[in-house]
Amino acid sequence: MAAIIRLSSVCRRGVKPLFYQSTLLARPLVVPNKYQEQPHLLTARIHSSQALYAGSDSKAASLHWTAERVLSILLLAMGPVAYFSPGPAIDYSLAAALTLHGHWGLGQVLTDYVHGDTKIKIANASLFVLSTVTFAGLCYFNYNDVGICKAIALLWSK
Amino acid sequence: MALLLRTFARQGVCLSKPQYSFLYRHAAPMGTTAKDEMNKFWAKNARLNRPMSPHITIYQWSVPMMMSITHRGTGVGLSGAISAFAVAALVLPGNYPYYLDLIHSLSIGPVLIGLAKFGIAFPVSYHTLNGIRHLYWDIGKGFKIPEVYRTGYTVIGLSIITSIMAIAMI
Repeated sequence: MAAIIRLSSVCRRGVKPLFYQSTLLARPLVVPNKYQEQPHLLTARIHSSQALYAGSDSKAASLHWTAERVLSILLLAMGPVAYFSPGPAIDYSLAAALTLHGHWGLGQVLTDYVHGDTKIKIANASLFVLSTVTFAGLCYFNYNDVGICKAIALLWSK
Repeated sequence: MALLLRTFARQGVCLSKPQYSFLYRHAAPMGTTAKDEMNKFWAKNARLNRPMSPHITIYQWSVPMMMSITHRGTGVGLSGAISAFAVAALVLPGNYPYYLDLIHSLSIGPVLIGLAKFGIAFPVSYHTLNGIRHLYWDIGKGFKIPEVYRTGYTVIGLSIITSIMAIAMI
């Protein structure tokens, strides 16, 4: 009954009374208020049903998304560690995390702005080379020179 | 049937609950991936030589829009700077203190040094703080427009303050 009253409050165009007697309304309707208490469950999961989905159901994209967020949080945590206890361990961790975070970030930028199969392939290959060289250079700097944390400290003491 | 579906949608009913599967049991799954659909979209529009919609030239700029592109800009800029530093470390002779002394010997005034430090600190600070704001969105919170603006102004304010603090201290 409450469901029908709510329906009538929404259908302001004057739905014919016949509609209310439709057998479709005989099914139990959940009170909409429930959903305001659990907004995080409102993600539409239409494609999660195996019976419906005949196409590829690879989770690669969503796993990548989660990995990006996990890495971001890790990188956030590395900031205070680098400040309060600098050293080779945090230097190399920072090199890896910064390079990967930048690689994935630039990858999203390329996905947004580069179109066309060959152009996408070339752009992603170039990005991969750039990220590899960046990581190599940072590791070289950590090994043969003062290291990332010390470098920033020295730069700022100017 | 369509009216019933639309009515449900207006009330914000979640279609993923098991009792609602009767609504889409006749829906056919798509055989293509999102990537395929994107490529087809761009290929078709390029082939028909269609012009790009004038989105950034005529749409009124808003603070969230500017903050978003600044987040991307600082990200690309910082990545570029890190890569340039890494390449320099591999290619240039001598070590880091040598080049620092080189810069010291140029005797740049304190104002310019402060400006340069701000130029480094602000992108880092802004990208980090706005990144936290993004993570807040990723857990599903703060999407109401007033919240978007509130958190946005907080990020801008804190970025400037922390950058100035970073220059003043250390």
